[in-house]
Amino acid sequence: MTFAMTRILTYATGIVGTALLLPIAVAIKYGESRMAVIFSSTMLAGWIAAAAFWLKTRNHPKTLAVKNAFSVVGGIWIVICLYGAIPLYFSGAFPSFTDAVFESVSGFTTTGASVLSDVESLPRSVNLWRCMSHWLGGMGVITLAVALIPLLGVGGFRLIKAEATGPDKGKFTARIATTAKILWSVYLGMTVIQSAILWYLGMDAVDAVCHAFSTLGTGGFSTRNASVGGFGIPAAEWVCTLFMLLASINFVLYCRLLTGRLSDVFHDSELRAFIVIVLVAVISITGIEFFHGTAGFAKTVRDVCFQVSSIISTTGFMTYDYTQWLPSGQTILLALFCIGGCSGSTAGGIKVIRWTVLAKQCHNEIRRLMHPHAVFSLRVNGIPGREGYVPIIASFMFVYFLLVFATVVAGTLAGLDVFTSVTAALSMVGNIGPAFGTLNPTSNYGFLPPLLKWWYCFAMLAGRLEIYTLLLLATGFRRNTPSRNT
Amino acid sequence: MKIFIIGAGFTGMRLAKLLTAEKNTVVLIDNDTEQVRTASDQLDCTVIEADGNNLNTLENAGVASADALVVLTKDDEVNMITCSLVDAAYPHIKKIARVRTYDYYTQTTDAEKRHQEQPNDGTRPVFGIDHMVNPDAEAAKAIVRAMEIGAVGSTIEIDGGYGIVVLPIAEGCPLDGIKVRDLTSLEEWHYLIAFVETADGATLPHGGTVLNANDHIGILTRREDLPRLLQFTGATEEPIRKIVIFGADNVGALTLAGQIQRKTSFWDVIKGYGFRQHKQDLTIIDRDSARCREIADKFPDVKVLNGDITDDMLLHDEGICECDLMVAASGSYERNLVTAAYLKSRGARKAIALTADSAFNEIARKLGVDVAVPMRDTMVDAIVSHLRGNFVRAIHSLYGRKLEILVCDIAPNSKAAEKELKDIPDFSECLALLIRQPGSDVCEIPRGSTVMHSGATVVLIVPVGDKRIVRIFCGKSRGIT
Repeated sequence: MTFAMTRILTYATGIVGTALLLPIAVAIKYGESRMAVIFSSTMLAGWIAAAAFWLKTRNHPKTLAVKNAFSVVGGIWIVICLYGAIPLYFSGAFPSFTDAVFESVSGFTTTGASVLSDVESLPRSVNLWRCMSHWLGGMGVITLAVALIPLLGVGGFRLIKAEATGPDKGKFTARIATTAKILWSVYLGMTVIQSAILWYLGMDAVDAVCHAFSTLGTGGFSTRNASVGGFGIPAAEWVCTLFMLLASINFVLYCRLLTGRLSDVFHDSELRAFIVIVLVAVISITGIEFFHGTAGFAKTVRDVCFQVSSIISTTGFMTYDYTQWLPSGQTILLALFCIGGCSGSTAGGIKVIRWTVLAKQCHNEIRRLMHPHAVFSLRVNGIPGREGYVPIIASFMFVYFLLVFATVVAGTLAGLDVFTSVTAALSMVGNIGPAFGTLNPTSNYGFLPPLLKWWYCFAMLAGRLEIYTLLLLATGFRRNTPSRNT
Repeated sequence: MKIFIIGAGFTGMRLAKLLTAEKNTVVLIDNDTEQVRTASDQLDCTVIEADGNNLNTLENAGVASADALVVLTKDDEVNMITCSLVDAAYPHIKKIARVRTYDYYTQTTDAEKRHQEQPNDGTRPVFGIDHMVNPDAEAAKAIVRAMEIGAVGSTIEIDGGYGIVVLPIAEGCPLDGIKVRDLTSLEEWHYLIAFVETADGATLPHGGTVLNANDHIGILTRREDLPRLLQFTGATEEPIRKIVIFGADNVGALTLAGQIQRKTSFWDVIKGYGFRQHKQDLTIIDRDSARCREIADKFPDVKVLNGDITDDMLLHDEGICECDLMVAASGSYERNLVTAAYLKSRGARKAIALTADSAFNEIARKLGVDVAVPMRDTMVDAIVSHLRGNFVRAIHSLYGRKLEILVCDIAPNSKAAEKELKDIPDFSECLALLIRQPGSDVCEIPRGSTVMHSGATVVLIVPVGDKRIVRIFCGKSRGIT
């Protein structure tokens, strides 16, 4: 087992290493020779590890047992985050290794919480790498690995299941590699489109690509201290708003759209609920702010749309400090912290589908109280008889909020006030980024004690991998359980 | 004619009896010893104890010279495969199969359509089945039709917007005690009485027939004339909102499907009719929890109750007794009658019951059930209509089984072709209800001087099994192919 696991680990490192080619190119173009050397050596290290293991284990059987799949995925994510932290640490921009790791984990898990107060002074290649980690982590490193290398074999589906988000994980083509390829192609296509639009609107090429990476990965890192707002291009804010929402919709739906199966898209319960939630949040906060605030209508609408999209898509871009809003508006935003995007998207959080299913079940329970003899069916996406989801989702919610609670406790032990700690915990586990209180959008995570940063790293990873994968990490290493392919 | 029937269940026996009475050679095959013994005691036909799906057995029994094969075993798969098997060896035999699984029925019908569209390959139907009969679908259709007119009476659907409505004559209504010939003097009367049902069965009316209270009359009318007719007879068509269906078997589910489909029809909504239907409150009750589950999965807007319909608490809690219409459509026919009558006594306004056959009509009426849909009659009618030759389109047997409604085309070589109706010989025991001339879409009520062009479709009421009449209109074609 250790063999198979290490092999996949090194492959993933090799792939992420190859991705470093882009920061290297930027470093060379902008004359950041020190960064070019650091990125190149990191890349070479990844390649050497992958090549060495490939040579040694290429004739080894490929499959993985289910429980190993979870530990492999957990292991890969930890290793990748550490690997991604290497160039950050050596760049010298981060005060300690802990900070570099926090930044890297925040990048790959698409959280977007930074320890830096000034990102504009960073080398451009480092900024690109921060945003690129969002992009790689958004759709998933393992999905990318399955799409690119056929070596993972049948075990690939198990790996993707451990990485993908949402309760209903399936492949929509016969072969998992094809599914992974289609998902990544759609993702890449959307990134190219958004980069082109941002570039057309006046950002320079690197900034446009950085923000496209950040938006599509629903991450939140920016190259400006004032985030997207720092460019002073309102149209760019609207473009980001749109693409944040698009990135938090199930990517399978885009594939359905491409194959002309429109009715599937219209009947998707999750998408409908998502649209309703966004509309309700936007309209109510706009109403509250407009009748109270001083800003003009256009500016209010733009700010509210941007902030709502940013939070529900768990991106965490901020163009406006929402803690300046009225408490009622902030509360609505806080509710969005607990919702998250759609399943199968790059967004984090609990996911809309889980709330939808629970709401439907609740409706059925109420009807059952009124009609004790009646039989009800739980329909998800128009398909009846999905009662089986309810216990799975309920137990997920339980574990999720348990983790949130533990994170709250960790925060308060480290000296944060309760409100800050609660919102920060929701933000970390939900992979959002900014929180309320002392960790508001204008602040950063740099001042936190190292131990709390490590706990937040764990919380972000657990949130990204939907908790079970990381919980199962431990069981994979247990000696006393017999395993089939070691 | 030589007809093979496989499966000597109730329908098989009834069919064999009917066909032997019409002097056909019938071979009945069943693998149940007890059934075979009963059949050979009761019927004047060859009865063989064997598996019907064995081609050797069928060949030994002389299937090669048969004109038709009717497969009525309880297994749909056996029915379909047997037809397929016989079709491979003897494509000239006409094959009729009972297919109850609704998915098989619809899918085979769909596949058949595509099969016919393909060039060069439309020679034989799918599975070799010339006609599929689905009793559940027929019964559900009849129930939905009755629901459509507010369950004031049963209906028989005929071509061109016309139908026959069987209505009771209420005491004190203008029809009570009137002679048929005097009806023409009534100003509001624009209808044709097709038959009169008394306790002895249906009879043809003549000028001197007196209509009595509590008789039922079959009236030929158009859908749009129905409200006026109902007003005239005093049986007003009240809107039906709350419908309770008892039994989530095939018939119950199909009735529900038919009712729901109807209310979402685009044209109904345009006409404003659908809006009224949309307010319908549908409830279905069954004791079987698995079946309830299925229905709940299929129909999200229907209230599905899992329980016993005689459970007083359930009736009370869910307000079942206050329903406008009760449809008893479970697989147990006797229970249907009792349940419908029981709920009617507890306050349900109208009741429809699915019964075994039309012999139960009288008792259903006495129990206060408004419409009885005879399951086996519709089945036998459907099969027989396929066995009467190519020119016969449909048959509906009437209460008492002395008369039947015959829908047929006029054959070119027949005695009736190109003659005026009054010149057709031996027509005294029959009644021509409607005629649709070839090339026309409009049905009309024929007069004595109407010419029967060949190719026209006529609707007649004739004595059951009267081959002479069939021959006058449909020619002397022997056999059925």
